[in-house]
Amino acid sequence: MSKALAKRNPLPSKEATLFKELLALYETRQLKKGLKTAEQILKKFPEHGETLCMKGLLLTHMGRREEGIDLVKKGVRLDLMSHICWHVFGLIQKADKNYEEALKSYTQALKFDKENMNLLRDSAQLQTHLRLFENLVDTRHTILRLRPNLRQNWVALAVAHHLNGQLAEARKVLEHYLRSLKNVTDSDIEHSETLLYYLLVLEELGEFQEALSVLNENAGSRSIVDRTAILERRARLLSKLHSPEAEDAWHALIEHNPDNYDSYRGYLADKGIDLDTPSREALSTLQKFAQLLTRATAPRRLQLNITSGSDFHELARAYISRGLQKGIPSLFADLKALYADKEKQAAIEDIVDSLREEYAPSDSPSKNVEPTTYLWTLYFLAQHYSYLSQHSKALTLLSEALVHTPTLPELHLLRGRVLKRSGDFLGAVRAVNDARALDGQDRFLNTKCGKYLLRAGCVEDAERIFGMFTKKDAISPAADLDDMQSLLFLLEEADAYRRLNKPNMALKRYMVVKKVFDEYEDDQFDFHGYNLRKFTIGIYLNLLKWEDQLRSHPAYVKAAVEASKIFVSLHDDPSILKSLTSSSPLSEAEKKAKSKAKKAAKKVLEQSDKSPQNQNTNADKDLEPAPPKDDDPNGMKLLVLPDPLEQAAKLLQPIVKQLEAKGTVADRRSKEGKMKRDVDVWIAVYDVAIRRKKLLQAVGALNHAKALQPDYPSLHLRLVDLKQRASSLPQPPPSPIGPVFTSSISELIPDELSLETYNSQYLQQHSTNPHAVLACARASQMLGAPLPDVEETLFGVFSEEVEPDVLMTLEALSFLFSLKSTRVNEFKAKSQERFPFSTAFKDAEEQVALKAQIFVVSAVDGSESAQDSKDVVEVVP
Amino acid sequence: MNVRPMRVDDLMGMQACNLQNLPENYTMRYYLYHAMTWPSLSYVAEDYKGRIVGYILAKMEEDLKEGEEPHGHVTSLSVLRSYRRLGLAKKLMVQSQEAMKNMYNASYISLHVRKSNRAALGLYKDTLGFSVKGVEKAYYADGEDAYAMHLPLRKDS
Repeated sequence: MSKALAKRNPLPSKEATLFKELLALYETRQLKKGLKTAEQILKKFPEHGETLCMKGLLLTHMGRREEGIDLVKKGVRLDLMSHICWHVFGLIQKADKNYEEALKSYTQALKFDKENMNLLRDSAQLQTHLRLFENLVDTRHTILRLRPNLRQNWVALAVAHHLNGQLAEARKVLEHYLRSLKNVTDSDIEHSETLLYYLLVLEELGEFQEALSVLNENAGSRSIVDRTAILERRARLLSKLHSPEAEDAWHALIEHNPDNYDSYRGYLADKGIDLDTPSREALSTLQKFAQLLTRATAPRRLQLNITSGSDFHELARAYISRGLQKGIPSLFADLKALYADKEKQAAIEDIVDSLREEYAPSDSPSKNVEPTTYLWTLYFLAQHYSYLSQHSKALTLLSEALVHTPTLPELHLLRGRVLKRSGDFLGAVRAVNDARALDGQDRFLNTKCGKYLLRAGCVEDAERIFGMFTKKDAISPAADLDDMQSLLFLLEEADAYRRLNKPNMALKRYMVVKKVFDEYEDDQFDFHGYNLRKFTIGIYLNLLKWEDQLRSHPAYVKAAVEASKIFVSLHDDPSILKSLTSSSPLSEAEKKAKSKAKKAAKKVLEQSDKSPQNQNTNADKDLEPAPPKDDDPNGMKLLVLPDPLEQAAKLLQPIVKQLEAKGTVADRRSKEGKMKRDVDVWIAVYDVAIRRKKLLQAVGALNHAKALQPDYPSLHLRLVDLKQRASSLPQPPPSPIGPVFTSSISELIPDELSLETYNSQYLQQHSTNPHAVLACARASQMLGAPLPDVEETLFGVFSEEVEPDVLMTLEALSFLFSLKSTRVNEFKAKSQERFPFSTAFKDAEEQVALKAQIFVVSAVDGSESAQDSKDVVEVVP
Repeated sequence: MNVRPMRVDDLMGMQACNLQNLPENYTMRYYLYHAMTWPSLSYVAEDYKGRIVGYILAKMEEDLKEGEEPHGHVTSLSVLRSYRRLGLAKKLMVQSQEAMKNMYNASYISLHVRKSNRAALGLYKDTLGFSVKGVEKAYYADGEDAYAMHLPLRKDS
């Protein structure tokens, strides 16, 4: 301490003045002048820590990052007692998104300047970002003590208490603040938001009566101006208080927005009725609202969920015929959820079939049906049969519709989807491109076409198509979609590269998905201060919740799991890398694209050089560091990372954290999908952990997977893998881990069975599940079974009672191929027989010929498409 | 379709809907800026699976010129092609404009449309009642002009 103190010689007055100037120049972003001033001081006092730090800070903003950071570090070392040095260091770390370290520097700085408002505010922001709520409360207290006149400081303290789980404290602070308020004008939006936040705190504390009277009083006086919020909260509070006024309150909310399902749910729940369970009361309520609110769709649609038999038939018929007459394209998508009930599915088929007869064109003048109504009926039926996997029937209906109206993009789009479902990926793209060609201005059709191209493995064409709507000045369409955070594009293209056996590019795209989520996570940073200034606390608290469970989003999970698989395969077989680097000369098209991208990149760089913002003289220079350019265009650097398993573990870690905290990754869509996704995560975790020799984590992951889906085929494969690895260990792992590991394995797989028997028992039990068949084939190959046996098992997917899908069969095919099996062609032939429409099993030449057809727009009169599908229909038994 | 106020966990769905459907795209930060500043002005339409099939992203004009009345602005309004003809755009717009009027005393709503986008122009004019107030030269990054459109929210404006 004394040593450091000894170095703190104050500057003589001339230089001290210069230093003050330097600070002012930085504040006003006059970087070049600032740098000159700093150098002037340093000429005389080259070891002055604070000046060195300021010079370093300036340099980082002038494109000399590395050099700047070195200077800052040097400056800090030379003056460990200076709040300026630590502050600068903190700023640099913050800009680097190294928030933990930044907070440490700020804490250090605050030791030497306890009441510095900038330091305190920044610290609070960092503490919120890092979720260090106890420390946050302290900081907010200090800020409030220093500046009690600033309204936001009161609310900020309340929020800190709230986040720290001290609701009662939050309430006290808010009440103290609200009592002390003077001169609030009517319709003050900030005050209104503060009151809504206060109400939220009361409600969370269970103080419903108090909340209600605060609400009524402030709604009446127009202190709360958000009418939707008033109606919602009033209804909710009255229900919680079991008040007879609740019904009217819910009614008012429904009238306010008659298409919000939640309001109907609340209205019924208040009477103890569930919106999703059939009951007389629910039905009569919905009927009442349907009559009252004629423009609303919700009450009419909701009735269909809770009726059955003739009631359902009658209501559904009215709903469907109205939809068809209005030509609503989403009618089928809207009703599909009802198909979970087979009776309803049959009823709908019945209704639409009879409507088709009714609407069919006829010479009788008595009929007064719009021709388009008939068209939409055919469209509905085609979706219906496609959903039931009756592809040929769907195609026949579409052919009839296309003869009727060849220019409706929806028909071509649907035809594409039917073909895709039948495995004809190339025909599907062609149909969707037909749709796109009918309305080139429509990005929806363009996106579909690009997506289908990626599904068919035509990456270059896809990028060209997407490029019709991306920014013209972007380096490439992919670069724009990356900037705009298009998860759809990134994931689809990554998957396409993965299927094309280009793990480098697949990995690159998956890692961009991770980057997008990093950005989402980082986006919250500025709002920790912003929302307090705006007093929008309710939504801010939801922002924090959303951010905390961000990594359980399906897009992140998908990217992390797939990237982790690639990292694991690189670990297992480093020769993948060699084959990629040696034997993949660029195709002509790739070369062309590459040189084009280079030119475009060069142009962009030249232009940005010319723009005044990038000349360091400008005072308005943005203080954000420039985005680094892509130094790994082919993803090869990702492939040669020295520690692929660590990379994978890092990707999976935040999902595991979520799963362990909540038991599942959040998803509001299908339960089944969620289950599968969770199991896939645990399996990826196992694959990484077992290779990193994290034995307990590995068995733990399989335990989780087993609890979710004990029969899951990839789990079966991992169980075999685990046991085999354990038995091949040279010696049992040492205590305390060893015994736990061994006994966990015994719990997962019975000890008394050989793995071969275990595998064949599993196959017997799940012989009709194609994925189980594939998993067993892989397991027996792993156990060293002779090739003919593995092949025989794999051909089990063609047994009569097994129903494989195209993608699964392709997976089996590529496994067979990797075994260098002589039965590959036989497998292809069988697949083709099984999926007569599919183009996926054709040989390379045929595929090339089909690809060449994609952009040949089918004849507009529909005759060609009609002919096509007639041929196809005959093939199907 | 369910039409309700936007929530934070809708923003990714809104961003995806926008990218799939419209040529003007934004990063998440911009959606967050709208949500965090005017949490009650944006609305979404979702299907039974909770997928966002349409949205309105709206704000209040921040830089009012001297004497200018407060007014709302639609940054982006989009309904997936496959969910058209349900009147969703209108329902979303009505909810948003009510909030602008009630909370912020907005006297009108403004928005911009690409000159070449006839479909959108038709929607705003015929379905939603907007009228063209003028042309803004080279409003879009690629140099295209925009129609500036207005919808009065009070009888006197």
